[in-house]
Amino acid sequence: MKTKINGTNGKIISLATSLGVCLALYICLVSSLTAALLILALGLGLIIYGERKDSIEQVYLSVEKNKPIVLGIIVLFVLVLPFLLHKNNYLLHVVVMAGIYAIVALGLNFQVGSTGMVNFAPAALFGAGAYVSAIAAVKFGISPWLGILLGMVGAALLGLIFGFPALKTRGYYLSLVTIALQIIFTQMIVNTAWLGGPNGIPGIPPYELAGFSFKQSLKILGLTIPYQINYIYLTFIFLGLTALAASRLYTSRTGLAWNAIEQDEIVAATQGINLTKEKLLAFALGAAFAGVAGALYAHYTSFIGYEDFDFSKSLILICMVLLGGMDNVSGVTLGAILLTIIDEKLRDFADYRMLMYSVILITILITRSQGLLPKRTRKYKEKSTGMPCVGQTVTMGGESSGSLKN
Amino acid sequence: MLELRNVDTRYGQIPMLRQVSMKVEAGEAVCLLGANGAGKTTLLKTILGMVKPTAGEVIYNGQRIDHLPPHKIIASGIAIVPEREGLFPKLTVEDNLLFGAYYEKDKDIIKSRLEEALTIFPRLKERYHQKAGTLSGGERKMLGIARALLSGPQLLLMDEPSLGLAPATVIEVYDVIARIKAEKNITILLIEQNAQKALEVVERGYVIQKGSIILEGSTEELQENEIIKESYLAVN
Repeated sequence: MKTKINGTNGKIISLATSLGVCLALYICLVSSLTAALLILALGLGLIIYGERKDSIEQVYLSVEKNKPIVLGIIVLFVLVLPFLLHKNNYLLHVVVMAGIYAIVALGLNFQVGSTGMVNFAPAALFGAGAYVSAIAAVKFGISPWLGILLGMVGAALLGLIFGFPALKTRGYYLSLVTIALQIIFTQMIVNTAWLGGPNGIPGIPPYELAGFSFKQSLKILGLTIPYQINYIYLTFIFLGLTALAASRLYTSRTGLAWNAIEQDEIVAATQGINLTKEKLLAFALGAAFAGVAGALYAHYTSFIGYEDFDFSKSLILICMVLLGGMDNVSGVTLGAILLTIIDEKLRDFADYRMLMYSVILITILITRSQGLLPKRTRKYKEKSTGMPCVGQTVTMGGESSGSLKN
Repeated sequence: MLELRNVDTRYGQIPMLRQVSMKVEAGEAVCLLGANGAGKTTLLKTILGMVKPTAGEVIYNGQRIDHLPPHKIIASGIAIVPEREGLFPKLTVEDNLLFGAYYEKDKDIIKSRLEEALTIFPRLKERYHQKAGTLSGGERKMLGIARALLSGPQLLLMDEPSLGLAPATVIEVYDVIARIKAEKNITILLIEQNAQKALEVVERGYVIQKGSIILEGSTEELQENEIIKESYLAVN
């Protein structure tokens, strides 16, 4: 490190970083594929250069120190974004989808990134949330708001079931089992008439708030803004909440235990970690995130079908986590948003879309095998005594461990 | 404090422990000597519940623990320094230490134990934010012991603390073990091949061979024993 960061310097760095990232994402979104890829390459180059020069650590530190500024910029950006794009429904749709996938990816990260259990069935968990909420609304007339909760619980239960094989299998074997579970899920939907079978579920009602339907366009200051704006705000509120929960979990006892399991299960057991509980928790919590996203998705698109939740969607979700950076909340979010945008840009290629997609992925992962923003070592806040203050960051998730004593 | 009564353990069809009975009283330091493959580590795994005995009982503080899962056994006050430390190489020294305090919720206790551990092992303070995988062999061993101490254990199990260390570092490690024994009221079960070093710090010892305890006695008795002299102390 060349210069010590002081107050103002840090503020400027964090301001510049957050503005830069927001701007880069915006340009990626509105411009052509070539420009988006150029921006991506530029960003990658900057990160690599920063790591060589050690200045990336400064950026991280100042961003952590000036969280209010960074969060403020991001919130402002999300608030303004729909107005910038108000003439283009399609781009607004991409933004909503980016938010939804980011929530799923954050949940998937608990299994893939933190605990090292490669789950090939995130789309099934995502679908579980969508189907539970959709069926509840269409067949039982339950409010979509309650549907979010139902979708979350439904997906978490399915996550628990998916988690059971993880107790006995690991590595490639676990991956194989989850692939099977993913296929069972899609096949089950196709073959169950009550779930709409291959025709899917049409006519899912949108969210409503005090008589205002989320499918109505907004009129602000004479501007007519497509209804997607409502969903952008809704999705990003949930994304904010899930990102907060994910980063709290990362620094908690639970996050630490997950990392321990990822590195060595046997040693983790000798340190008193309840493998069964922690593995199931990683699945259930991750699935709950996916369930929320699924519920949002169902009431946003108003139609869901099995092909929205098939194996290829699972692969894309895993790519988001891998590309963004495993076990790094900002990395995973960034990865999900970027891949959603790139995926949409590739629609021009029609039949060659997946080919192009894989070429881009392979190129990125060759240059950066750990993802855009790799996992960081934990640092706990230090108190003035100079001793590390442990409790502050390790208290969460420890509630159940106390009961095991004696 | 810890008692094994006629414990049999098998890996599949292969018997690893046969009719093992041993006892560790509170406040004592006891060693278990044995050659490679004698069943030392299997015995530890049996105590920790990672392998279930096919016969016999493991009793800790008056209660049978052989049917409990490992995390409950650890939570009841047993700490282990595994063979080759068993650290998490990609996590920092700090994080590794915190696993020791996994069951402690009181922040002040965690803090004071951390401080204490760092005064016993000042080197770890220098390496505090480094990844554990970057430490030297001796430092790793120290971190393993420090982590075990952080749980405030009643019973400390150590699996070959001298393994893979330079002679000078072995002396250092054993100084620390002697210090822990003198300063803290922790019962220690030491599992070793290095009989000379182990017998310096313990009061009693057992010798295990092919899964059976073949010898037990006080330190003096063991030091005088012909088998020990021949196989472990290399005295003619």
